[in-house]
Amino acid sequence: MGLLRYILARTAWAVAVTFIIVTITFLLIALAPDPNISQAATQAALQGGDPTEAAQREAEMRGLDQPLHIRYIDFLQGVYTLEWGWSDNRAQPVTEALLEGIYYTAQYSIPWTILTIIIGPIVGLYSAANMYSWKDHLATGFAFAGWAIPNFFFALILVLIFSVWLNLFPLSYDPSAPVFSLQNVHQLVLPVFVLVTGSIGAIMRVSRNESAEFQNAAFMKTAKAKGVSPLRAYALHVMRPTLVPLSTTLVGQILVIFLGSSLLVEIVFGIPGLGRITFDALINQDTNLILGATLLFTFIAVMGNLVEDIVFTILDPRISYDDR
Amino acid sequence: MTGNDESIGADDVRATSGSARRFDEIDWDDYEEPGLFSVTPSLKITLLAGLPIVLLGLYDEFVVGDREATFVRLGSDLGLSGPFETLGVDFDPGSLDFLFMFTIVLFIAYVGYPLYRNGRMTRYYWREFKRNRPAVISLVWLGLIFVGGVLGPFLIAMPEQDLAAAYQPPVFASIDLVHTTGCVGEIRDGRCYGTWEHPLGTSRGGQDVFASVVHGMTVTMQIAFITTTIVAIIGITFGTVSAYLGGWADEIMMRFTDIVLSFPTFVFFLLILYIYGAGLGMFILVFAAFGWGATARYVRSKALSISEEEFIKAIRISGASTPTIVRRHVIPNTASSIITQLTLIVPGFLLAEAQLAFLGIGDTAVPTWGQLISAGRTSIDFAPWIVLAPGFTLFLTILAFNFLGDAILDAINPEAEAETDR
Repeated sequence: MGLLRYILARTAWAVAVTFIIVTITFLLIALAPDPNISQAATQAALQGGDPTEAAQREAEMRGLDQPLHIRYIDFLQGVYTLEWGWSDNRAQPVTEALLEGIYYTAQYSIPWTILTIIIGPIVGLYSAANMYSWKDHLATGFAFAGWAIPNFFFALILVLIFSVWLNLFPLSYDPSAPVFSLQNVHQLVLPVFVLVTGSIGAIMRVSRNESAEFQNAAFMKTAKAKGVSPLRAYALHVMRPTLVPLSTTLVGQILVIFLGSSLLVEIVFGIPGLGRITFDALINQDTNLILGATLLFTFIAVMGNLVEDIVFTILDPRISYDDR
Repeated sequence: MTGNDESIGADDVRATSGSARRFDEIDWDDYEEPGLFSVTPSLKITLLAGLPIVLLGLYDEFVVGDREATFVRLGSDLGLSGPFETLGVDFDPGSLDFLFMFTIVLFIAYVGYPLYRNGRMTRYYWREFKRNRPAVISLVWLGLIFVGGVLGPFLIAMPEQDLAAAYQPPVFASIDLVHTTGCVGEIRDGRCYGTWEHPLGTSRGGQDVFASVVHGMTVTMQIAFITTTIVAIIGITFGTVSAYLGGWADEIMMRFTDIVLSFPTFVFFLLILYIYGAGLGMFILVFAAFGWGATARYVRSKALSISEEEFIKAIRISGASTPTIVRRHVIPNTASSIITQLTLIVPGFLLAEAQLAFLGIGDTAVPTWGQLISAGRTSIDFAPWIVLAPGFTLFLTILAFNFLGDAILDAINPEAEAETDR
């Protein structure tokens, strides 16, 4: 199997996975009573109307009186044509609400991802080059602590120290700040710092341990004998084989934090991004928006895994395409 | 290291079965391959200790009413109300508590007992493990959390509201009187000083922070033990079966694992929470049901590499059946790496629970660290201990699990030492 065929097959599989997850989501929703219906019934009862009739009307309005398979096909069509419905709470289409969220989420996610990708492997390599020295211990200890401390707790502490006590950073996020302005950089320093410390640990450890293996490899000895400068030797000869196992950790780690912790970091710092929107939708029982956010996060996860696998294969020519 | 060789030899002789047998004699009873449904000592322990717990759990589920305390009812059913009352036995465990106890029994039977049985290897592991000082400290810390989680609720009462004692500072700390409603300790220069009555201070509702942290340990340990057990059972079964069936079955099972792995569990749990509502039990179930992917993959690759070993071929030639090989040789040989892997996934579950509790959408019926952090958020500028005490406990616990996993990896896998030793 050639590389192209592998990528095609892998992409097809990713589409199949989203299909399966969408189906599971549909079943979850279809098998549960819709909170909007019971809400309509309660409201009708409170206003002296007939609750059963109101419930029926609501169900009809939402197309819930149709047989299951038709609803399923409708649902699939809606999901894949990006017609994700209307967000009652925000009074705008779900896709529009999510796009607004992405706008704010991207503002801290992009710098955070770039910084993690740059700093993580460099610190790891540095640690490996100075293995068992105090510099190594310091870097490892820092990485470990940053990795183990719950992000939301760390964020709270940083807000307490730097925003409340020292008054160095603003307490609340100002969504109207232009993207490329000092004000925006200033207010995003803390969230980006929290997320970088959270994601750097695992990456630093993997790159340190993996590169330790290549440090004393024959090709490094050759490079040294030929007089290659240490910087060049590490940057070119150790970095490349290290990147292969690292790519898995890298994407995985960033995804884990993106899908879990960034939600809370947004809430702590008051950033109106995707996480905040999802949380508000949850509190306000905005079914369409919750569904949309879940699907969006699922698609991002599946895409991430796809990218990870493809990068992995391209980086390591030894992997045969037949077995994964 | 001299002298150890001798003691190992002596242990070997004793291990063969006590009597003064010569080293080259073998008691074949010790090595007999039991049939598929034979009763191993581990199974015996599980049945002996686990059955009463299961029965009690079923009794609690089906006989005891919603508002009755299990042991009070049990006392009256058995006609032992008198003795129960004098002993103060009036506990009311829930189904999660029973599951927790059962998993502890499983751990004793399948981790503790084998370690005790193979004393020589255990001592070797311990020697290797001891060299890693942070790991020993981690083990002590987790031991404290475990003991606190199991015994704490019996010794320390559930924290209660006491509005007269809101925002009490921890011992040796003080708080401006403006923030408190009353002061339990002494008052000097307009500041309220902490007392030993509330060693870690109190929260906004006057609940003792120390008691809340101890009660949070129970939840933490329940999550750690129950999820680990479920993940281990599904992951090991899935991984070994997939490795041994091979071909199409393997392909399908591993693709299925891919789906499980790429599931954004946290976000998906929010959806489930929204549609169905969910308590701690549901949380454990959902996260365990989607958390075994990495374990299964790992076990599969381990099982594949071990099944290539010469000794497996020898056993196969001797006529052992595939289930016997898997159960008696493949799983025990992968056990060490499975334990490491499991230790390293527990922090993820603890973190997820804390995050949900922090969002205020976790199980509100049980006191958890995340809830306490969330409760202290609004008063963090003048009463930081409400956030700091549970936060640092959570941080140290997650750290301890990571250190422990690393150390176990080093202890049981000397080859990996060069890679992971710090």
